[in-house]
Amino acid sequence: MKNKIITILILLSLFIPVAAFTLTGEEIIRRADNIQIFETSEASGEFQIKDRFGVKVSTFNSWSRGTNESLIEFTSRAERGQKVLRTEDELYLFYPDAEELIRMQGSMLRQSMLGSDISYEDMTGGKDRISQYDVILEGEESFKGNDCYVLIMTAKVRTVPYPKEKLWIDKETFLVWKAEYYTKSDRLLKEMETLDTKIINGRTIAVETRIVDKMKTDTETIMFMSDIKINIPIDDAMFSLEELSW
Amino acid sequence: MTTKLVKTALRNISRNKRRSILSGVAIGVAAMSIVMLFSLIAGMQVDMESNLKSYYTGGIRIRNENYEQYERFNPVHLTVDANTIEKILNTIEEVDVYVPRTSFPANLYIEGTNFGAMGVGADFEKEADFIDLEGSLKKGRLPETGKNEMIMGAVLARDLKLNIGDKVTIMSTTAARGTNAITLKIVGLFAFPVASLNAKYFWAPIDRISYFLRMNDATQEVILKVKEDGTESEIAVKIKEILKQETGVNYDVQAYTEISGTYEMIEMANTVYIIMAFVFFLLGSTVIINTTMMVIFERMREIGTLGALGMHGKELVRLFFLEGMFISIIGTFIGVLAGIGFTLLLGKTGIDLTESMQGIDFEVSGMIYPKLSIGKTVFVFFYSVIIASLATLFPSKKAAKIEPVEALRYV
Repeated sequence: MKNKIITILILLSLFIPVAAFTLTGEEIIRRADNIQIFETSEASGEFQIKDRFGVKVSTFNSWSRGTNESLIEFTSRAERGQKVLRTEDELYLFYPDAEELIRMQGSMLRQSMLGSDISYEDMTGGKDRISQYDVILEGEESFKGNDCYVLIMTAKVRTVPYPKEKLWIDKETFLVWKAEYYTKSDRLLKEMETLDTKIINGRTIAVETRIVDKMKTDTETIMFMSDIKINIPIDDAMFSLEELSW
Repeated sequence: MTTKLVKTALRNISRNKRRSILSGVAIGVAAMSIVMLFSLIAGMQVDMESNLKSYYTGGIRIRNENYEQYERFNPVHLTVDANTIEKILNTIEEVDVYVPRTSFPANLYIEGTNFGAMGVGADFEKEADFIDLEGSLKKGRLPETGKNEMIMGAVLARDLKLNIGDKVTIMSTTAARGTNAITLKIVGLFAFPVASLNAKYFWAPIDRISYFLRMNDATQEVILKVKEDGTESEIAVKIKEILKQETGVNYDVQAYTEISGTYEMIEMANTVYIIMAFVFFLLGSTVIINTTMMVIFERMREIGTLGALGMHGKELVRLFFLEGMFISIIGTFIGVLAGIGFTLLLGKTGIDLTESMQGIDFEVSGMIYPKLSIGKTVFVFFYSVIIASLATLFPSKKAAKIEPVEALRYV
C-alpha cells in the first residue's frame, strides 16, 4: 500500500510542472496583448503602399495611451496635416480643408486608410480580445525559425472586424509573427506578417510589418515604425476632439 | 373602262360618307401616329447625342493614354496638362470650343453618414461657351474660381435635404492615391436636361478640385466640340497626331462614337428605338389593314349585287382597290399633315417627361423635342397608301370569287 501511494505521488509530481507551465490560449493572447500596450508611447512611421500603379510612401507621427487611445498625424506632402484620432469608442478623421471632423462608423470603417491594405476598422481592434473571441490553442509551429504557438480565435460577438483569426505567437517573446484574418466561412481576407523587431524596455516590438489585403489584387502595405518612445509624458488633451484640429 | 371604275369608286366613297370618313380617319390617325413616333424617336436620338457631347464626353475627348485601361480603379493620377493641350487646340481650325474637366466619385459626409455622388471640376468661364450652365441654374449662382463653392443637382439637394448656403464636406481618393476631404458651400442648384445628372452630380471650380485631389494643376480630360457635326472621328485622328508631334506625348483622343460604353449606349438606344418604331409601325399597319378589310367584308351584299348586275371579278377587285387607295390617300394626307403640325408644335413646346425619367440612368433629357424627318414623313405617306390599297386585294379577290347569290346572303 505504501509503495502504491509513493508510485502515485511520483507520477503526479511528473505532471505538476507541465500543468503549471502550460499556457492556455487565453493566457497567450493576454500576454501578446500586454507586450503591445504601453502606458503611453510616441513613434514616427512610414507606410509603403504598393498597388498596381507603383509604390507610394506616406509618413506619420503617432501617439498612444493605453489600449484605446491613439492619434496619427500624417506628415507626407500629399496628406500633410491629416489626422486619425481613436478614442475609447470612436474613430475621427481630421482633414485640414474640411470644416468638420469626420466620425467613422458603420460601413465607413471598412474603407482603406490612405489607399493602404489597412482599413480604419483594423485600428478599432484590440479591445479586450479575450471577451470577444473564443481562443483555441491549435498547436505549435516554427515560423521563420521562431517557435510559435498557433491559435485560432473565433468571434463570440458580431462587432469585431474579423470573425476568425489565426495567429502565430512567439513562445518566448509573445510577439505575433503572423496573423491571418478570415470570414466566417473561412475565406482569407487579410494577412499580417512581422518582418523586423526591436527590443524596447525589455519587450520585443514589431517595427516592420507587412499587411496584405487578399480582397485586392497586387497590393501590399509595409509599415515601418521608428523613434519609438515608451512611457513618456503626453498631454491628456492630445486625445480630445477639441485639440484634434490644432 | 378604268375611268368608269374611278368614277364608280369615287361615287361609292361619297355615297356612304360615314363609312368613308371613319375608315379614312382610322388610316389618318395611324399615319399621324407613325409620323409623330418617328419624330419623337428622332428627337430622342438627337437629344441623347447632344447630351453626351455636352455633359459627358464632348464630341472628342482627350485623356491620359492609360486612363481608360484603369478607369474602373478611379486613376485620378492619370492626368493631362490642359494648358498645353488648349494652346494646341487653339491652332486647329476645325475645333469649335473646348473645356477642361475632372469627374470623380465622392462621398458627401452629412450628419455622420456618407452619401455617394459624382463631382465635376469645371472652368465655369470656359463652360459658358460649351453648355448653358447659367440657364440650367434653378436657384442661386455659379461658383467662383478659387472659392470652396459648388452647385448641386436640384434632385440630389432635395434628396439630401440641402439648400443654397449649406456647407457639405466631400471625401474622395486623391491623385496621390490617398484620401482627402474638403468643405464646399452650395451656391446654386441646377436642373440639367438629364435626370441622372440632377440626381447624382455636383460641380465645383476646377482649380479647387485640382487642389483637393492633389492633381498639381492638371486635369482628368479636355473635351471639345467640332464646328461640323459628324466629322469628330477624322478630327480626333488629326488632333492625336498634332498633340503627339507638338508634345511628344501619346494622348488618348477619341470621338464620342468611339468611346467604349458610349458607342454601345448609342447603339443600344438606337436598337430600342428601332424596336419601338417597328412595333408601333406594325400596330399602325394593322389598323390600316384591318379597317380596309372590314370595310370590304361588310359590303358582301353590295358586292353580290354588283356581281348580279354583271360586274366581273377583276373589275370588282380594281373597284375596291381604287376605293381603298382614294380613301387612304385622303386619310393619310390629312393624317400626315396633322402629324407634321403636331410635331412642329411639340418641337417648340417639348414633351415633358421629367417626372417619368426620375431615377432612370439614361442620357435622355426629361424634356424631349420631336424632330421632323422629311424623308421618313414622305415614306409614311406612301407606305400607308400602298398598304391600305394592297389590303383591299385579299377581301375583294375573295368577294369576287363568291357567287352573287351566295354574296347576297351576307347581311
